[in-house]
Amino acid sequence: MGRKKKKQMKPWCWYCNRDFDDEKILIQHQKAKHFKCHICHKKLYTGPGLAIHCMQVHKETIDSVPNAIPGRTDIELEIYGMEGIPDKDMQDRRRVLEQKSHAESQKKKQNQDDSDEEDDEDEDEAGPSSFQQPAAQPQAAYMPPMHPGPQAQGMLPAGYPGMPPMLTGVPPMIPGMPPVMPGMPPGMMPMGGMMPPGPAMPPMMPGMPPGQLSGPSSTTSDSPKVTFPAYTQPSSTPPVAASSSTVAKPPATVTSKPATLTTLSATSKLMHPDEDISLEERRAQLPRYQRLIPRPGQTAAVAASAPPSGAVGGMIPAQRVIPPQQPGIRHPIHGQYGGPPQGIPGYMAGGMPPYGQSAPMVPSYQAGPPGPPMGIRPPVMSPGSRY
Amino acid sequence: MSGRAAAEKSSTMTGANEFKLTQGPEDGVSAVKFSPSSAQFLLVSSWDCTVRLFDVSTNSMRMKYQHLAPVLDCAFYDPTHAWSGGLDSQLKTHDLNTDQDTIVGTHDAPIRCVEYCPEVNVMVTGSWDMSVRLWDPRTPCNAGTFTQPEKVYTLSVAGDRLIVGTAGRRVLVWDLRNMGYVQQRRESSLKYQTRCIRAFPNKQGYVLSSIEGRVAVEYLDPSLEVQKKKYAFKCHRLKENGIEQVYPVNAISFHSVHNTFATGGSDGFVNIWDPFNKKRLCQFHRYPTSIASLAFSSDGSLLAIASSYMQEQGDVSHPADAVFIRQVTDAETKPKST
Repeated sequence: MGRKKKKQMKPWCWYCNRDFDDEKILIQHQKAKHFKCHICHKKLYTGPGLAIHCMQVHKETIDSVPNAIPGRTDIELEIYGMEGIPDKDMQDRRRVLEQKSHAESQKKKQNQDDSDEEDDEDEDEAGPSSFQQPAAQPQAAYMPPMHPGPQAQGMLPAGYPGMPPMLTGVPPMIPGMPPVMPGMPPGMMPMGGMMPPGPAMPPMMPGMPPGQLSGPSSTTSDSPKVTFPAYTQPSSTPPVAASSSTVAKPPATVTSKPATLTTLSATSKLMHPDEDISLEERRAQLPRYQRLIPRPGQTAAVAASAPPSGAVGGMIPAQRVIPPQQPGIRHPIHGQYGGPPQGIPGYMAGGMPPYGQSAPMVPSYQAGPPGPPMGIRPPVMSPGSRY
Repeated sequence: MSGRAAAEKSSTMTGANEFKLTQGPEDGVSAVKFSPSSAQFLLVSSWDCTVRLFDVSTNSMRMKYQHLAPVLDCAFYDPTHAWSGGLDSQLKTHDLNTDQDTIVGTHDAPIRCVEYCPEVNVMVTGSWDMSVRLWDPRTPCNAGTFTQPEKVYTLSVAGDRLIVGTAGRRVLVWDLRNMGYVQQRRESSLKYQTRCIRAFPNKQGYVLSSIEGRVAVEYLDPSLEVQKKKYAFKCHRLKENGIEQVYPVNAISFHSVHNTFATGGSDGFVNIWDPFNKKRLCQFHRYPTSIASLAFSSDGSLLAIASSYMQEQGDVSHPADAVFIRQVTDAETKPKST
């Protein structure tokens, strides 16, 4: 026919605009998500096939393809994988993809220029001011340092070498910018603003979140995906029933990215307390457990005096005496294991207060994500690093 | 089923192949572990400060010992010795024949994990004091303290290697025979707090779960071709009224024979996964509350499921905490050949 190979672009699903690495996977996806009978769960091969099945077997009519985006729900269109996609939509998509990649490269350039103008956006440079800007424009400042290469967002595979440099640079910023920080942790505390600097930060810092947040990583998410093709498979695997189409996934296309975050978006809620401490740590803070925890002095004494056997009975009562003497001491305990002995000073400092008082933080599960930093969430998708 | 419905059991049966342990802990369950040699005995550690030994074949509690404060983890050194640690920062070993305790040592902060490494014959503990300590189980005594970059949240033994998951999403791989340096420093490939790490029985890699309804399958071999095989998937998420509720995945346990694994989440579901075909094999009925811990017996015939509220929504009232013992079948745990 004289036109270009139709496989030039990556396979994508016409019904929901998602990208896939392989047409086979695309077909599996379509069968599971769009051509599956809601009554008996039988997987058909096409939309019309599903309609006929429902009519013949269940005597039910269906008028739209399940899990399809508006405008793409036509049940009478015979689409199988990439075959049958109307030319117009094909071209639309190609155009959109091209626009996207142009926009990204332009944005990248722009960001780099901006950051050059600003005062040394090195991670080593401290100062709250340098932090403000990133919030305003998508962490523009942060990019260059974090940007080891065009793709891959310096996913520093498995984070080997990457960590140390990050850590040294970041801590100086932290104390200055608690309100801005929220922008950083991708998806962690989307609530621009309130996030408890302490608990949220530690997890972020070592994790090169700055790198993640940088604009390019979000905008070039298409390309890095190819390096981890395996990632797309599980998402589209039928048995993983829990995955929902509203939550953006790495193979997610251009259109769905800005709308949803991986979590903590308007459509998803993380069933976990806000602070980034483990559930056990949180529970251990409850008064009824706090009073059982022996104080440092006593613990050592006990260990020293513990005979190999038999004395246990004798010891326990002695221990029990201790708790009443300590009226709900919270902080010293946290000092024990929250303290900076080996921790990175930068975020330890931030980390202290939240233990005691942070709870009131914006109890935000639902992310109302105002603020530009939200938009940067996409790095979450980047298969090169985090899932 | 009717055949083995002893009077007490029938009242505790919660399914065709499943029953609830009686005389269970009086507060949350932190860990369940089967004996290495027998599917008959199960250790259960709890926030009620006890560690209990159950005989699951008769659904009876055989022994119970105390800590000063809630116990966060327990492990068998061998069929007759239990080790445990928790908020009192004391590492205890209990002789299950003589019913005697010994305090082996302490950490500077609560002990979060206790595991045994058979290949090197050493007990390993991880603590919120940011250290991993090794212990010689025979004397017993301390055999070294090794600093981690952050509080230890989880750890798992793979052959003679130790995989440590800490706060800040760090993952470290240590060689237990040579603890002078960290063998591999990694970062979790998941963006959210690490909840649990368990190594594959075949020691090729490990499974890591986060608080954000996601599990990653990773490999230890750092070569690029092997690293390319790693992947992650979403799980333990429920859609309710258009909002997706994303739950922490608290527990992972491997089936020793099939190399498939079960995950338990705060959504109260247990899923069994086939990591090689990347498919879910099975999902059990929903349990009354969050799954805090899972353990397959060494022969893979039983799965202990600790259904225990973990304060995800704060200190609110919740269904009673309990441990369920379920007989699992090949159909539920064996990879399907397609």
